[in-house]
Amino acid sequence: MDPRATSSPRVNSTTQSLAIIINRANPVDNLSLVELRRLFLGERNHWPNGHRVAVAMLDYGQPERQTVLRLIFRMDEKTYQDHLLRGMFRGDVFVAPKTLASPTIVRKFIFNAPGAIGYVRASDVDGTVKVVRIDGLLPQDKDYPLQIDE
Amino acid sequence: MHLLVLSLAMESISHIRFTKSIIGLGLFVFLAGGSLFSQESGTTVTVDRNVVQALLQRISSLEASEKELRERVSQLEKGAAPSATVAANPSAPLLSTVSPHPETIAATTAPSQPDPFPKPQSEQMGPVDQERMDVSKTQLNIRGFGDFGLYGGNQKGQTTTFSLGQMNLFITSNLSERFRFLTELVFEVHQDNDFEEDLERILLEYSASDYFKLSAGRYHTAIGYYNTAYHHATWFQTTTERPYIFAFEDEGGILPIHNVGVEASGLIPSGQLGLNYIASVGNGRNSTNPDGEPVQNYVDDTNHKAVNLALFARPDAIPGLQVGFSVYRDALFPPNVPRVNETIVDGYAVLARPRFEWLNEALMIRHAVLGGHVFETPSFYSQISERFGLYRPYFRYQYVNASSQEPIFPQVGLRTGPSVGIRFDPAESVALKLQYDYTELRRQSPVIDGKSCPQLSMCAPNALALQVDFKF
Repeated sequence: MDPRATSSPRVNSTTQSLAIIINRANPVDNLSLVELRRLFLGERNHWPNGHRVAVAMLDYGQPERQTVLRLIFRMDEKTYQDHLLRGMFRGDVFVAPKTLASPTIVRKFIFNAPGAIGYVRASDVDGTVKVVRIDGLLPQDKDYPLQIDE
Repeated sequence: MHLLVLSLAMESISHIRFTKSIIGLGLFVFLAGGSLFSQESGTTVTVDRNVVQALLQRISSLEASEKELRERVSQLEKGAAPSATVAANPSAPLLSTVSPHPETIAATTAPSQPDPFPKPQSEQMGPVDQERMDVSKTQLNIRGFGDFGLYGGNQKGQTTTFSLGQMNLFITSNLSERFRFLTELVFEVHQDNDFEEDLERILLEYSASDYFKLSAGRYHTAIGYYNTAYHHATWFQTTTERPYIFAFEDEGGILPIHNVGVEASGLIPSGQLGLNYIASVGNGRNSTNPDGEPVQNYVDDTNHKAVNLALFARPDAIPGLQVGFSVYRDALFPPNVPRVNETIVDGYAVLARPRFEWLNEALMIRHAVLGGHVFETPSFYSQISERFGLYRPYFRYQYVNASSQEPIFPQVGLRTGPSVGIRFDPAESVALKLQYDYTELRRQSPVIDGKSCPQLSMCAPNALALQVDFKF
């Protein structure tokens, strides 16, 4: 986890980019796609500062969730659910992700939970959360890897 | 639960009524006070219209809230089905399910716009938010698994039979950010047709970091791959049954599948190699009383403790690949036999992906009788399958070869042969499996009883199984 980049960057008109957001107190600024996948899939349960990772997923069928499944997990919904259930059963996944109904609630959850990580459209980001760079790039940057497929 | 919602709503209405009374009283005192003052002083008092207007608006707002709450109470009294949003309310059931439909939180109470001046976290979360968003809440999460089958084989004495499998309740609870409770409560039927319930796993886990997790209780011994990857739900297995070598103790299994003690596990800093460790110390298996409970849940028959160490790698370069080994050591004290030192060495290479799996695992069980003979029981299995849409055909070959003089499991002998089958998933939570087993059998006990051969796989020369698995 590269401690580069800025905190709470201003987001412009990149409405089709998916922003990965964490709690403002989390010192992490940058994640690789591999690290992101591990965090979201429960293969890593703690942040470097010791807080337990709490994953927030948007509700089923939303374009942002589909983008995460496709670009980060590389799974369809059924495979993801199966993976999650197996991980819980084996003990690999310590806590099941929260499934939240709207970007507003995702932001609120992340604001309140020090170890939370989630995602919203870049246009839904506000100052209550912190956007992390993915492989060194922010949502408004060219070649940012997480673009929402509407 | 509705009663709780109802009482909360009634309490809110009472609160609104009280607030309205206070405001009304305040308005009255304000106006009356002004009037009295004007009478006493004989001068005209100017009433602040803005204040009056604000108070009237406040009363209107409270009346609207009261009306809304009354409608809600009326709805609840009529027994209307709670909407999806109720799940997020403080009155939501304490028993809920985990994935694949984890805690869904609705947007009803969220602000439509972000708070420009967010309060500190400790102040931000009111009682409602704490219930909804506290990641460390103590709450039971339950998933259920079950199976039912039709089994037949041509071993002498066997009958074709419908058979209830295991009904498994997998329960977890997050006690705090670092503590978790986990249990598998299994209801099952054995050869005597009586139901029996077992806490197959019961663990209190402490997760200090990704590098150190400590568990205490009853767990599956980390011997090799299969015993930690698959537990008591046949739903997760591709095949109808576990490999014979990993059969459960109460089903004639020959390994110490369960153990009671403590277990430490975690990552080993190794970059892209993805090294992990699991180390445990526990009571080990019962050996002094062959007819007793195999797992020493409450009392160890000796002071000697069983230890196990497992190391494995999940390299980044090959997703789904896991290679590893484990070493298990214990001392057994069977009746009329000197002490037996037990060593179980396991090595495996597994490629497990959503569509394709290839499991390969070999074990050597070594029993060294003090001052006597050493018995070595080699075994292995290899299993391969690929999913084609809803269908997953599979093939498995198994082998186990134990001496007829083996001091701990003399009934096993040689068992080897292939299994072929197909798994069909017609629905997200239901699977059908059809499996045929051919097994070469030598030197095993001819008696089929609850210990030596409760299931048909690797117990009859030819066996056919049709199994329905489901999760709920």
